[in-house]
Amino acid sequence: MKLKKHFSFSGALILTILGICLAAPIISPYDPYAIAVGDPFAGPSAAHWFGTDDLGRDLLSRVLYGGRITILIAMSATVIALIIGTLWGVTAGVRHGWVDEFLMRTADATMAIPQILFALVCISAVGASVVSLPLVVGILLSPTTARMARSAVVTELASDYVVAATASGLKRSRLILSEVLPNIAPQLLVQLSINAAAAVMLEATLSFIGLGIQPPNASWGTLMLQGYAQIWNSYWFVFFPAMSVTITILAFNAYGERIRVSLDSRRSSV
Amino acid sequence: MGKFLIRRAISSAIVFVISVVLVFMSIRILPGDPVLAKLGAATQVTPAALKALREAAGLNRPLLSQLFSWIWHAMQGNLGVSYFSQFPVTKLVGARIPVTLELTFFIILIAVILALIFAPLSSAKPGSLIDRVIGYVTSLGLSVPGFVIGIIFILIVSLKLQWLPSRGFVPLTTSVPQNLKLMILPSITGGLTATPYLVRYLRASMLEIKQSSFVRTAEGKGLSGARIMFRHILPNSLVPTLTMLGLIVGYTLSGVLVIEYMFGLPGIGSLAIESAFKRDYVVIQGVALTIIGFFILTTFLFDVLCGIVDPRLRVTKGQKSEA
Repeated sequence: MKLKKHFSFSGALILTILGICLAAPIISPYDPYAIAVGDPFAGPSAAHWFGTDDLGRDLLSRVLYGGRITILIAMSATVIALIIGTLWGVTAGVRHGWVDEFLMRTADATMAIPQILFALVCISAVGASVVSLPLVVGILLSPTTARMARSAVVTELASDYVVAATASGLKRSRLILSEVLPNIAPQLLVQLSINAAAAVMLEATLSFIGLGIQPPNASWGTLMLQGYAQIWNSYWFVFFPAMSVTITILAFNAYGERIRVSLDSRRSSV
Repeated sequence: MGKFLIRRAISSAIVFVISVVLVFMSIRILPGDPVLAKLGAATQVTPAALKALREAAGLNRPLLSQLFSWIWHAMQGNLGVSYFSQFPVTKLVGARIPVTLELTFFIILIAVILALIFAPLSSAKPGSLIDRVIGYVTSLGLSVPGFVIGIIFILIVSLKLQWLPSRGFVPLTTSVPQNLKLMILPSITGGLTATPYLVRYLRASMLEIKQSSFVRTAEGKGLSGARIMFRHILPNSLVPTLTMLGLIVGYTLSGVLVIEYMFGLPGIGSLAIESAFKRDYVVIQGVALTIIGFFILTTFLFDVLCGIVDPRLRVTKGQKSEA
């Protein structure tokens, strides 16, 4: 019954996207790096569903493989943001006073730096790779996660069961780990989904301006950069990666929104 | 009011200092050597020459001393000299600021106009077809990256219809019509990315105002729906939206970076991206300082503006609990 409640079109869409990207080596019709498998700049056809790029590579295969890189980076970044952000926010929420103040001011300050700018600074220093991009994106997304985690923890700590548990002598650390954290998990899941959308967007943006995944490897952002450079030669080149990015972000945002709405209705019905 | 001003100014200043220090530190702590990057292709660099260059750039001094001397110089309006072009950073940034400001202005203008049209339409009858359609479109707008909107516009307006150019820039001082013509696509692109946030927020605050007793009174007096909407509900929901607008200006600045770059506008956004490619850290730092400062200043100004318009907002959380 619970499963049915959480089943949604957006959730199914996310699973489909993940599945397709995972299965890329099996289902992609061509080698994504093989050049001249078709004429350059060919439009969609039966042989090449998404057309071909400037070197005659099959775009469908490139988009499928690009999705693997984009999704991999986005998921790692999301996990990193979740770990850092939860630690950050829970620490701030549990400890009052100057620790809280300092941690939250730092979160404010980090959010005052435009994300792309901060990413530019870091990427220009360490270079873009499958390791540095998730780290940078993950760190960028952690302050919003921290704010959310903090407010959830503060609300939770004020509730009756916490008072009761404290009165019965339950250790604070135990209380946080085994009671409070599981209770804020649904809210963290909402944030996780929103973060995944933001991570896909950030990765695509960075790669689109040329500071992300470098050729010959290509994420969706890299493909868009290449397609944008060839926009006068082919409409399709830039179109399909752009659609893939947009649909993925939309699915993650919609899923997050859906869980939030079901959480709100559950809370108001109590 | 004075107390409120001081409180807001202090917290803005703290956020500014921390974020600037964060930017400075992340550049220094992360690996990658600007001197090596500068030498780049030059071969046969002797270690002695490298050392001399590092010393000249002050990179061998302790981090904190570098930080303080940078802040000290920045306060005097000296942001250093580009490693590459040898131009002062203030000059590079200053030359490009007008473009960014113009673009930001148009983006906000478009977003505000669209929000003022769609939020009342949407909140007039919550749950109606119009409301739902606007709701879906805003959700969609929140998910489409700015540059994808830009690409769509270029594909349709520049390539298919050939109405407007897709790249280039003419300064306002050279030719106003040409400048505006080149600004249309970037402004609409940016405007459309900022609009969904504003529409959502304005709609929510209009729905909230709709519940208040003075609206009921107005309805009781028999005023027309349109009059209630535009004379009572809308003006009252603008105040909370002002705070939001301050934040949106900030987010817009982030989006402007990419929009400038993709449309070939020579603003500070494309300066930041060009410098990132060259690893010209001094310039990136300068741009970061400018953008962060601008962002914090706008949010501060919008907050103060709200405090002036609506005295209730002057009370901060701390004061409330005292009272």
